[in-house]
Formats: sequence, structure tokens, C-alpha cells
Amino acid sequence: MPVIVCPACDLAHRLTTAPASGRRQCARCRAPLQRRENASIETAIALAVSALVLLLLSNAYPLVEMHVNGSSRDTTLIGAALGLYAQGFESLAALVLLTTVLAPLLQIVTLLYVLTPLRRGRRAPGRNAVLRVLTRVRPWNFMEVFMLGALVALVRLSNFAHIAPGISLWSCALLMLCLSALTSVTSPEQLWRWVEESGE
Amino acid sequence: MSNPATGRSLGLLLCLDCRATVRDVKAAHSRCPRCHARLHERKPHSLIVTTVLVVCAAVLYIPANVLPVMNTRTIFDDEQDTIMSGVLVLLHSGSWPIALLVFIASIVVPLLKILALGVLLYSAWRPSPPHRLQRSELYRMVEFIGRWSMLDIYAVSLLATLVQVQSFASVIVGWGAWAFAAVVVLTLLAARSFDERLLWDTPQHD
Repeated sequence: MPVIVCPACDLAHRLTTAPASGRRQCARCRAPLQRRENASIETAIALAVSALVLLLLSNAYPLVEMHVNGSSRDTTLIGAALGLYAQGFESLAALVLLTTVLAPLLQIVTLLYVLTPLRRGRRAPGRNAVLRVLTRVRPWNFMEVFMLGALVALVRLSNFAHIAPGISLWSCALLMLCLSALTSVTSPEQLWRWVEESGE
Repeated sequence: MSNPATGRSLGLLLCLDCRATVRDVKAAHSRCPRCHARLHERKPHSLIVTTVLVVCAAVLYIPANVLPVMNTRTIFDDEQDTIMSGVLVLLHSGSWPIALLVFIASIVVPLLKILALGVLLYSAWRPSPPHRLQRSELYRMVEFIGRWSMLDIYAVSLLATLVQVQSFASVIVGWGAWAFAAVVVLTLLAARSFDERLLWDTPQHD
């Protein structure tokens, strides 16, 4: 008989057929046991491609422009990390780069690498290793937090300078939404369900 | 329910990478048959690693709040901002919702996380942890709120990048920001290395 073990308290549950949608909770510790999103591989690929485009836009156009005393300055998404690097805080710059640029980029690229062949029932070379990278990197995507941090910075700056939101502020907001949708439709559970259903 | 069937009692192991249920795992260094990730019955050295990380985070919490996170240099003066004085600046400029947001994310959340992890560790070290359900829910809360403390780091990094107007004003990042980011990262790693199953492994008395 199929059995599922709770990841949070180790209680064994008899696995009746997985619910068509929604989630199951552990009977003892109430942790989520199973989640089924009604999403297709195509949805996940579409979200990943959109997120990739938005990530490129966010780094190509200014996030905010500041006008003060006749001069102006602007920054892109990656600029926040570069500014820290320029002031000699390399480790801090690396952390900001990881959580706002590298982690989202790796999440998108690894998913596209695995899902595009999988849609045709093929196995990407080195798939397991790539999926392990995805599992490690996924918790370091802090886009939502970055957006709120940008808001705080804008409020503080607006007291003494003229602030103009740039294109990239909007693309960052969309990127944040896209990435959280992507994360929820590509849980490890769902990824491996697709792998098993494809029968590769 | 005196002796509920657990993965351990049935000889089943959950792969934390792909969520596969693995049977008959005996070898100490085995790998998941489905995704080839390393399998451990429990996260290795969970309590020791988590304790060390939480202690480091608690120590760094002090410089994170005492040292300035940024210095604002203008032609008139040189102003140093700690996390708390940054909150007060926002409050005086009339944007109290933002001030409250920064206060919760930068001061309340890190402190709450360190205390909560301390409670969880204390429970897990004990022979029979009390209030397991509440402890499990506490752990899930710690995991959920963890990332939000990074908010101020992003705000400071954007300010330091933008405010570099020669002879008018410039913002220099302070070592408080470094200590603060270290607290956030250490508590995140601590939450990840803590194995919540340890709260449920011993026989239950309550």
C-alpha cells in the first residue's frame, strides 16, 4: 500500500489517491502533506519565459531616477549590488546580487532547461543535478522583499529630492508576481509528478 | 494514540529534495533512487549546527543595532543612522505606515526569530518536548517571516547607490548593515538546519 511520510513530524499516512486539487494536511502536526496545482508544463514554461524577459528588462532600464540640484542619477536592479561593491562591502554586495539577480535567474534557467525537453517526453542531460541546484537556490529569491525595500528607499529620498519611478520599477513588480506564480506551480512534488507522468 | 506509525518505525525515509518515499534504507550514505540527492534519516548534526548559528546571530544582533547602517554626508553635517534612528526619521517625516513596516521587519522580526529558535532548540534538546503542535507551528512561522528582515538592507543599498551627488550629499554604508545582514543570513541558515521532526521523535507524554 502506498504510504506518504510527513516531512515535518515523520508520521506515516496511508496514501489514497492524491486529491485532484488543493492540499492535504498532516493529521498530527498540520504541516502540508500534498499539494496539487492544476498547472501544466506549458503554463510553467510560459511563466518562466515571461520572468526571464522581465528580469532582463529590470536590469536594462532604470529602477528609479533621482533629480537634485540640477543633476540626476539612476540605478537598475543590479545597480543596488554594484553600489555596495563600489563602497567596499563585497560580501554584502554578493548577498544582494544573489538574492535579487542570481537566484531568480538560476531558478528560471534551470526550470527552462528541465521543462522544455520534458514537454516532449525527453530527459535533459544532467537533469537530477540541475534539479538539485534548483532546490538549493529557490529559497534565496527575495524579490518581494526587495520591492518593499525599494519602496522604503523611495519614501526616504522623496523628502529631499525629486524622485521619478523608472520603467524597471514596474517590470520588477511584474517579475515578483511572475516568480511567485512560477514557484507555486513548480514545487518539487509537482516537478517530479511531471517527470513520472511523461514516462521518459 | 500511544505509538503512531512513523516513517522511522516503518523503515521509510522521505527524500527532502523530491519528496519521494524511500523504502529499506540501511546504508548511512545512500542516495534517493529517484533524484539521487543524499538521504539522511534526520538532518545531520541538526541541533549542534542550529545552536551555533543561533548563538552567532544573537551576538551579532548587538552590533547590528548599535553600529550605524549608513552615514549621510552633506555640506552641512555628517549624520549617522542606526536601524532604530532610521525608523524615527521615517516617523518624523510623516510616513508612519512605512516606519511601522521597517520597525517590524528590522527590529521585531529578527528578535522574534532568535527567541523562537531558542525556544525550539530548548524543546528539541529535552527528552520529551512539550506542546509539540505549537512548537511545529512556531517553526513554520519562523520559516515564513525569515526573509522579510532583508528589507532594510535593500533600502540602504539603493540609497547608497543613488545618493552620490558630489558636494551635495552622499550616503556611505556602515558596518551595522553588514552585521545586520549577517544576522538575517545566520537565522535563515539556522532555521534551515533545524530538523522539526526531532520535536516528534521521542515518545509523547502530554
